[in-house]
Order: sequence, then structure tokens, then C-alpha cells
Amino acid sequence: MSTAMEFQARAVEAAPVEAVEGHSQWWLTWRRLRHDKVAIASLIVILVITGLAIAAPAFAALTGHGPAEQFPNTGISATGAPAGPSATFWLGADELGRDLFVRILYGARISLFVGVVTTAIATVAGVAIGMVSGYYGGWTDMLLARSIDTALAFPYLVLTLALVARFGPSLLMVMIVITFFTWSGIARVVRGQMLSIKEKEYIEAARSIGTSPWRIMRVDILPNLLGPVLVLATLAIPGAIVAEATLSFLGLGIQPPTPSWGNLLAGAQNYYAEAWWYLVFPALALLITTLAFNLLGDGIRDAMDPRTERLFAGAERARLRGRARGRAGAATAAEAGAPLSSTGGEQAGPRKEGRDLP
Amino acid sequence: MTRVRAAAMPAPDNVPRLAGDELVRVENLVKYFPVRGDGLFARTVAEVRAVDGVTLTLRRGQTLGLVGETGCGKSTLARCIAGLIPATSGQVIFEGRDIANLPRRAMRPYRRQIQMIFQDPYGSLNPRRRVGAIIGEPYIVHKTATGAQRKRAVQDLMDRVGLNPEHYNRFPSEFSGGQRQRIGVARALALRPKLIICDEPVSALDVSIQAQILNLLADLQQEFGLSYLFIAHDLEVVRHVSDQVMVMYLGRVAETGSARQVFGSPRHPYTTALLSAAPAADPDAAAARQRIILTGDVPSPIAPPAGCRFHPRCPSARERCGQEEPALENKPGDPGEEGQPKPGTTVHLTACHFPVQPGGVPGRGDAREPQ
Repeated sequence: MSTAMEFQARAVEAAPVEAVEGHSQWWLTWRRLRHDKVAIASLIVILVITGLAIAAPAFAALTGHGPAEQFPNTGISATGAPAGPSATFWLGADELGRDLFVRILYGARISLFVGVVTTAIATVAGVAIGMVSGYYGGWTDMLLARSIDTALAFPYLVLTLALVARFGPSLLMVMIVITFFTWSGIARVVRGQMLSIKEKEYIEAARSIGTSPWRIMRVDILPNLLGPVLVLATLAIPGAIVAEATLSFLGLGIQPPTPSWGNLLAGAQNYYAEAWWYLVFPALALLITTLAFNLLGDGIRDAMDPRTERLFAGAERARLRGRARGRAGAATAAEAGAPLSSTGGEQAGPRKEGRDLP
Repeated sequence: MTRVRAAAMPAPDNVPRLAGDELVRVENLVKYFPVRGDGLFARTVAEVRAVDGVTLTLRRGQTLGLVGETGCGKSTLARCIAGLIPATSGQVIFEGRDIANLPRRAMRPYRRQIQMIFQDPYGSLNPRRRVGAIIGEPYIVHKTATGAQRKRAVQDLMDRVGLNPEHYNRFPSEFSGGQRQRIGVARALALRPKLIICDEPVSALDVSIQAQILNLLADLQQEFGLSYLFIAHDLEVVRHVSDQVMVMYLGRVAETGSARQVFGSPRHPYTTALLSAAPAADPDAAAARQRIILTGDVPSPIAPPAGCRFHPRCPSARERCGQEEPALENKPGDPGEEGQPKPGTTVHLTACHFPVQPGGVPGRGDAREPQ
């Protein structure tokens, strides 16, 4: 009680000092994000995966297994089956006796590299093109908006197949294709945001001061766009990771023996009946990584805009209310008795309980 | 100083010379907005005649009040004068030069002279920027002050407009509506302009706050010798602040003159209707006066009515009003305005064939006010 009072007193004392220094939108976003357990857990997962990917050579040295090294004696049994998870092969081995754990870590390097780099390039391109398109309007907009639509309408697998047929598969090819299919989505959203921000009175105020269009875009508009762009980029990373895995799975991306999550999964296709770990661990790595990025992106989006948070909280409350009402309804129905219970199945939970009680 | 520079600059032949106390003269300003059809290569199918031939003069240190209904072209006119949108035709003469449709770079020195205060104290301040940055932006753009010097200048301004200079690092969301409007005033003042265009600066504020902002604007006018183009639809506010008043209807000037002339003896039926619609503070006065209720809506500015634009709604319209557009001219009626007016005095001009005579009765155009 006394501590609560003290705390209050301290808060009142501290408030005016704090209030003079205004809080930036980023600070407020971080304060809200900090209390989002799912988002913070996702952030930690992403940091751990990134750490593991960076430390992949260290783990290779620790286990003594290189990423493409084959161990016919220890990794494969006498009958030719891959070795399961053990002290030497932490997550088991593949059909050639390679260490799956080390290969997944090296695959993470590829996945994160492709995901982050392609998203970064696509975001810069998308924001630049979207901003110019939305700000200038007219012919510039017509040209750029149509090229965005064209990029969005392209069948991505067909384009990739054509490019691979012509130039052969490579990491660079994968990144070019993924970048090409990511920028357009970001550009479209940025253009839309631009169209709405452009009409704000503070843009007119900036023009009346004599601010150049370039400075208006940089100083007045870009900070207002960064929020949605950060969310989009966070959500684009898992898309790029999955796209890379898909291309590698189909043999259009990273080529063995270089490990990638996609080609690990492709390799597992013929062996997973005997060696479940071969399929499960690369798939889990892909799932956990993409899920973490998606949940973090959602968390940032909610934290950016307090209204969505409240909306979500409202939906949560409604759901809880609905559940409570449902329970109440069930109770009245049970009191009413016969009609419901006579139609109910023998195995229904409540009736079983009822039977146990004398 | 700038006056000297303006005088030294050879005035182009097609630009009328301004009299000594004139700051801005707008000559026959027209702004049409194209209405495009659907499709990729859409042609212009119609034009919105937002401002259709407006002429006005604003003198140094004075306030010109601009009144009219929503959509009559007040804000468009203001934005043309401020150089925010290009005019379709006409001239905006400022310091001996036509600044309508100047390219952005050529316009830059004039931006320092003409600033704007906006209606919405929430929309006109970037929510992501700190107040210090918002007020300091003009100094950065025009490179007039840097670093600590700029911070001092901004804090002086904040103090001058009644804000706590310690709130330099706050965001706009941490201020009330009235305080935000003070931020907007400080920003407009930063470049020491000669003309400030106030686009409904108080209509979004509480009445008590309105008075504070109006008093601030009046003090600043005294201190810095500012001219205001003051747009509002609250007639009491306009009467309070204006030296001259201009009434607009559908992109055209209906009536213009000194505040005393327009409010004291309105001649255009539209002005009388506007005045009668304004709520009066004194209930006896409200009961005593005749209310003129206009029927119908404002016609579309895409296809304004032929003749006098007000004639479909005018209580005293006659046949001639639908055929012949009345010129904006001095209709006799006020005392001491017969014949040629002396230069420098405000002329009471009305665009009406049958101007209202004192007492609220539409006249025949030949009657005189008994003196």
C-alpha cells in the first residue's frame, strides 16, 4: 500500500519533466510492442536463428562435420540407411551421411541472406517508385503504376523457368526473381499511401514555405510512410524465404551440394519413410522462421496503430463474452434436460461425467 | 528594403504599376479545374469554374476579409495568390511583378513574402515532426538561420505567439487546437512575410480560443506591419478584423468595399441574405430584423447560370438578371461617393442590376439614399 503511494507520488513528480520532451512515434511503438509477448518471442526466435546462422562455421568445427562433407562410416548404417539423431549427428544424417544439423544451419545462412537482401532491395525500389508515382501523378504515375501492375501480373514460376532455362540456376538468379516479385507489392501500397498523404494540409503548408518536392518527400512524407513500409518489409521477408525454398525445392534455385532448406526438403522426398528427421527438421526450420517473421510483422503493425490494437482487443472481448454466453446457454439447456441429452451421443463429455457420478 | 529592390527592377510593360500603399493587386484572376472523362487518354469533358474573373487590391498593413459560402472559390483564390496552384489566366501583381504561374524557383523569393495560415490546426502540422522542426523549417528551406541561431529564432517566435519555448521538442499531438494554431501562426511568421493569407484560421476553434487567435493576429499586424487576406464564413469575425470586405458568390465578386460600407449598407441581395442569416448576439436586434431565406442550392460551378449568377436564388431577380451579367461597379447610394472617387479611398462596388437600398428594399438602381 505504502509502496503504491510512493510510486504514485514519484510518477506525479516525474510527469512534467517527461512531458516537455515529446515522445516520437517510434518510441511509442516500441513501448507498445514491448508488451506484446508473441511479437517479443518472435523477435527472440529470429535473433536466435540469425545467431545460429552466423555461427554455422563454429558448429561445423564443433561437430567436426563440414556442410558438404560425407561420412560413410558414421553417417550411414551397414544397410545403407541414414543415421538418426545422436550425440555425433545432433539432428541425424542424410542419405550420403552428411550432418543434417550443420546443413540446416548453412541453409539458414542462405535463407536469411536471400530473405533480407531481396526484401531490402525491393523495399528501397518499391518505396522510391511508389513515392514518385504517387507524388507527381499524371504521366509519370500512369507509366509507373502500369509497370507496377505489369510486374504484379507476371506469372512468377513461368518467368523463373524461362530464366533458368536460359541462364542456368544460381543464387543470383533466385534473388533477381524474388526481388522482381516483391518490389511491386510494396510500390503499390506506398503509392496508395502517398496519394492520401499528398492531400494533407501540412504538405500544402510545406509547399507554401517553398520546400522543394524532393525535401517534402524526404522530410514530410517518408517518415509517415516508414511505419507501413516496416510492416510490409517484415512480412515480405518470410515470403522471400519461402520463395527461395520453393525454387530450390524445384531444382531452380540453390544447387546441391550447397545446402538450402528447399533442396534439403527435396532430398528428403525419397527417404522420409525411413528417416523422418530428414524431412521434419528442415521443414520445422522453415516453418519456425517464417512464422516468427509473420508474427513479428503483425505485432509491429498492431503497435504502430493503437486503433487496430483496440479493435483486436474488442474482438477478443466479444469472443470471450460469446464463449461465456455459450456456456450459459449450455447450462440452461442441460437444466431443461431431456430433449438435448436424448439426441446427444453416448460419448459426449458431460454425459460421461454424469455417468461416473452416482 | 525589398521595396527599394522592387523599384529598381524594371517593371514589364504589361504589369500595371501599383500605387504606393498597394501590396497586392489581383487582376481578372481565373481558375478552371478540368473535369476529365474516364479512360486512359481522357479528354477534358467540362470545367469547374472555381474562380471566374476576380479583381482585388490589398493595401499594406490592411486586412481584406473574404466571405462567401462553401465552394464559392475563396480557398481557390487564396491558393492562386499564394502560388500553390497555377491560375488559368489573370495576374497576381506583387511588388511590381506578376507572380501568377511563376516557375517554382522564380517563385521562391516571393514565398518569403507571402505565407499562409491554414484552417485545420490538426491537418496542417505534420504529426511526425517536432514543433521546433515545424517552425524552423522555413529557416532551413530559405537558409536564413542555422544551428543554435535557428533554435533561438524559433523559441523567440514561440514566445511571441504565446507558446512555451520549452515545448520546442514536443509533437503537435501534445498541444490543444488553439496552441496548434499558434504553431501555424509562428511558422507563417518565421520568414517575416508582408502578406499572410489566413484560410479560415479560426473556424475550427472554440469561440473563446477564436478571440485569442484573432487578438494575436491583430497584435502581430501592428508589430510587423502585416497585410492579411482573411477568409472566413463567420461574418462577425470578418467584420471584426477587416478593413475591406469582399463577398464572393460562385467564383465571382458580388460586392466589395470597406467593412463599414459592406456591413453597414449592403447593396447586393446576396450580401443582405448572408447578413440576415448570421445569428445576432442581441435577441432584440435579431427579432427586429428581417430574415431573408434563400431557396435552392448553390448552382454547379461547372455550368453557372447565365446572366447574374445569383439570379435563380435572388428574391428580387427580374428578367434582365437572367440575360445580362451585371458589371462590378459603384452604384450610387452611399453618401459622399458620387462621381469619381478620390484615389486611395475604398470604393463600394456591387455586381447587381437592382442593388438593395438602405432599409433592405431592393431598389430600381436610380433611387438615392436620402441624406
